[in-house]
Amino acid sequence: MAQGVRDGIYDLLAARGVSRRDFVKYCGSVAALLGLSEMYAPQIVSAVEAGAKLKPTVWLDMGLCTGCTESLAQVDTPDVASIVLDLLSVNYMETIMAAAGTQAEEARTKTIADGGYVLVVEGAIMTGEGGNTLRIAGKTGLEILKEAAGKADAIICVGSCAVDGGWVNAAPNPAGGKGVLDVMPELKAKTINLPTCPVNPEWIVAMVVDVLLLGKLPAMDDKNRPTLIFGSTIHDNCPRRGHFENGEFVEAFGTEAEVKQWCLYKMGCKGPQTMTNCPSVRWNRRASWCVESGSPCIGCGHVYTNWVDASAPFLSRMTDVNLPGLGGVRPETVGTVVGAAAAAGLLVHGIASAATGRTSGPPMETEKAWDKKHKASKGGDN
Amino acid sequence: MSQHAHYRAAHPLIFVFTHYVNLISMIGLAFTGFFIHYPFFVWSMGLARSIHFMLMFILIINLTARIILSFWVKDALLLGSNVVDTDIKNWLPQKENKHQFLETVKYYLFLRKEHVISGKYGSLQKTAYLATIPITYAMAYTGFALYGPAQHWALAPFFNAGTAAVGGLMAMRMIHYFGMWIIIVFTMVHAYLANIHGIAPTKIMFAWVETKPEGH
Amino acid sequence: MARAIIDPVTRIEGHLRVECEVENGVITDAWSSGSLYRGMETVLKGRAPADAYYVSQRICGVCPISHGHASTKATEDALKVTPPDGARLVRNIIEGAETLHSHILWFYTLTALDYVDVVSALSANIADTYALAEKAGTAVADFGAIQKRLKTFVEGGQLSIFTNGYWGHPAMKLPAELNLIAVAHYLQALEIQAEAAAIIAVMGGKFPHFMTSIPGGTAWMPTEEKLDDVLFRWKTVSEFITNALIPDTLAIAPFYIEAATYGGGVKNFLSWGVFEDKSLDPLKRVMPRGAILDGKLELVQPDVAKIKEYVEHSWYSSPSGLNPAQGQTQAKFTSYDTNAQYSWIKAPRLDEKPMEAGPLSRMLVSYLAGVPEVKDLVDTTLTALGVAGKPEVLISLLGRLAARNLEAKFVADKMGEWIMELIGAVKGGDAKFFTEPTETNGQGAGLWEAPRGALGHFIDVKDGKIANYQVVSPSTWDCSPRDAAGVRGPLEEALVGTPIADIEKPLEALRIVHSFDP
Repeated sequence: MAQGVRDGIYDLLAARGVSRRDFVKYCGSVAALLGLSEMYAPQIVSAVEAGAKLKPTVWLDMGLCTGCTESLAQVDTPDVASIVLDLLSVNYMETIMAAAGTQAEEARTKTIADGGYVLVVEGAIMTGEGGNTLRIAGKTGLEILKEAAGKADAIICVGSCAVDGGWVNAAPNPAGGKGVLDVMPELKAKTINLPTCPVNPEWIVAMVVDVLLLGKLPAMDDKNRPTLIFGSTIHDNCPRRGHFENGEFVEAFGTEAEVKQWCLYKMGCKGPQTMTNCPSVRWNRRASWCVESGSPCIGCGHVYTNWVDASAPFLSRMTDVNLPGLGGVRPETVGTVVGAAAAAGLLVHGIASAATGRTSGPPMETEKAWDKKHKASKGGDN
Repeated sequence: MSQHAHYRAAHPLIFVFTHYVNLISMIGLAFTGFFIHYPFFVWSMGLARSIHFMLMFILIINLTARIILSFWVKDALLLGSNVVDTDIKNWLPQKENKHQFLETVKYYLFLRKEHVISGKYGSLQKTAYLATIPITYAMAYTGFALYGPAQHWALAPFFNAGTAAVGGLMAMRMIHYFGMWIIIVFTMVHAYLANIHGIAPTKIMFAWVETKPEGH
Repeated sequence: MARAIIDPVTRIEGHLRVECEVENGVITDAWSSGSLYRGMETVLKGRAPADAYYVSQRICGVCPISHGHASTKATEDALKVTPPDGARLVRNIIEGAETLHSHILWFYTLTALDYVDVVSALSANIADTYALAEKAGTAVADFGAIQKRLKTFVEGGQLSIFTNGYWGHPAMKLPAELNLIAVAHYLQALEIQAEAAAIIAVMGGKFPHFMTSIPGGTAWMPTEEKLDDVLFRWKTVSEFITNALIPDTLAIAPFYIEAATYGGGVKNFLSWGVFEDKSLDPLKRVMPRGAILDGKLELVQPDVAKIKEYVEHSWYSSPSGLNPAQGQTQAKFTSYDTNAQYSWIKAPRLDEKPMEAGPLSRMLVSYLAGVPEVKDLVDTTLTALGVAGKPEVLISLLGRLAARNLEAKFVADKMGEWIMELIGAVKGGDAKFFTEPTETNGQGAGLWEAPRGALGHFIDVKDGKIANYQVVSPSTWDCSPRDAAGVRGPLEEALVGTPIADIEKPLEALRIVHSFDP
């Protein structure tokens, strides 16, 4: 490595009050954060030294509510100012960038032309009305995504909307919201999916560190979710799990059981079906998380189908069954009705059988009806 | 059917035993399953789940053993008969069952008067019994898939692939739930049809008491 | 004549395009185009009412609390359930925390870069900066270190989010030292907004998108250790507002005093009222309900039945002129044409008038309704700016900016009262937090306020399912396109008359847009 570059980064760090010694120590903790042995620290040090230039980043706002950007603003390790000023060069991010209009567009097209950037996508890819349900600078959102995706080193889809369309994709999906990999499956090899609504900012930081410092994508599952983050259910890591095992459940909101932090399973908690590490990472600088606040988990980290269709109604144990002509019906109702119908059917059948004298033993046929019919024509047994 | 004899030859003791194991574990599974689905009284979830698991293993081992035994154990292939042969032949198409499926349905819908001729098991009955085999294994699979995602065991990918295929854990949970209702409805219909013409089948299957045809 | 186009408008929530006709350096006509349609109202149909609470918040990631509360209120109105008083306090505090979060973020992160030249801060004299901060009574920081950090950053050549900013633009008026103070507070504000959001997280699970204000009350049960968490986080935020946000506003305003002469817009103001009083009567809300018409500073009561939403200039094929309680939303894109259809936003009108929504509306209505703390704040500020006794100067760009920050101060103080009241109620031991809804049919409206203005959710529940759902959000009011009669929306009207120094860099137009906090 060129001596100049190495000096460059230490000057940069020194200006931010970080000594070389502090820095190597920091790399050790980054290694630990990534679940690696401290052995890897020197490797991270050299990776950072090589990357003395801040990593250019393009953050695309698609069909979004800006909640994931908001969420990013809530992180403190490192804080958002360090991320956008010291770690990355976020050349395009509509919600916080100084430039607007033409000047903003220039910043984006130049970064894309130079290549070697990280692409972050927030919001659903809008395909409705010929893609015109999202228009930016006279183009559709999809066109902008296509321009930006090709030359990106890595693509991080933040939040459920970018992953699979999120709530925008929920039936009947009137605006045609879809996930990045739904519209551009060819990007699978370089895409990281971070579902939940909004995304947990700790995960973005972890992924940025992965991509920047280790220069490679993390271990991921079939839905491109990092397994370290999305490898176990909320239910398994839930602080209320003990109450679940004891059979201690919240039966109504606003009760003593809520104060005692009993289990929300019966209130419709989707923790058993939802795979994220929310209970351990928590939210808003570790202030709290959904279940701790007293609400059941609404399963916003669900993938495969958008989380709203997969988890609503949120205050019920299971989703409704869509029956033609009836709309959504509770699974418990369907089961009970089927069971009761069977019982009623059998009862009627029993009464009818008794009335026709079948219960005491029906007359047995002596020869199969089929044989009788076919014997003549076929001339024998078969 | 009271005209028929129900001899022990048709239902060897070992199958009476496996039938008992089936019944008891299914009742236990349904009960603990309902409890796990929605805990309707105060009890230990851990215990309910452990019993559910244990009964599942018993049911699956029992079912598998029953299938293997059908190649070894000899029993009667026809109603009221003492002539025995390998049990598996009961489950394969028999010439007695030929062209009887629709006729049986017609009989139960009161569209014909006479009860059809068949083997020990009618074709409708045979189909229903055989269908319980994949359903039972599917219940075990879906159950494992619901339990599996958090378990970092060697078979997890096998179950997680299924979860992905059906569209996630919620879909899997609903399949497992409705699978249970299918088994409940099957059991109701089975108990009804087996005893509609008298309780001789119950006597032989539960008490191993034979019923001899009248006048013999 | 030339067109100045800002597309995309950045530093807002969502997607917006603004097109202005400029003649002799002044905007003569303008078009505001909402560029995103997601279909929330259609998605909610057929679902459970409580699901609307959880999902409809996702309309806006900056003001999810207000959408959640408007949705819950609509459902409570429809199903005739009254939330207990404990829940009222919890909701007020959460709503207040969001307001503070949003206003701080809006002023420093979203709007300040229209007025503060970040690059100019490099040439600030550190000693003079401290002197200026002292004089303005605003919070000091390690200005030297911040300038050094900025210097390293700028010299690195990678300007990140400051790339292509309007540095050195002729409309930038602040001295270098004030720019440096603002940059220091820009960084500090990022911390403080997160502290305000953490209050919501403690009481609502997380922010953005919270979990607890379910129809019937709140799922959050206050406990001592949670309440002191809330109290001390509020203190930090409140001190920042008193010691930085307000003095900064007063220090910066004199340099942009000409902004008091334009940008007033349609001069009709609407506030549905926000922050419930014990009576749960919308007319007695802490910031009450009311409207002001044609710039006449007298209070009238808005009639929700007189709202009509027009779609002549929007990309919808559903009928125009419907009241939102019977509203319909059927998307139909044609093409972008400022003479025909040009927006995904409908054009709501109250009694045929375009209405401005937002803190300026709320502060004017509260001022006219005689809310004592609001009267004090406004009168003191007018005196400080040398226009004592002339509240009508607030109807301008500068007024819209100032109103938001003054409101932050008012809400912060009120929040302190609610927190103490809640602590008292919990100590008293008989506070109730939830009433289970039992009805399964009904129609209701949740008329409420988001930080950026009047917000209405309209629900029709049949057999426990949502039969129809409509939302009229503040940006629908403010950024609306022309209506059937061709009357401009509030943002469009406010742009008219704004001077533009450089048509390639229409910074002044951007200021008008940001003043609405869309």
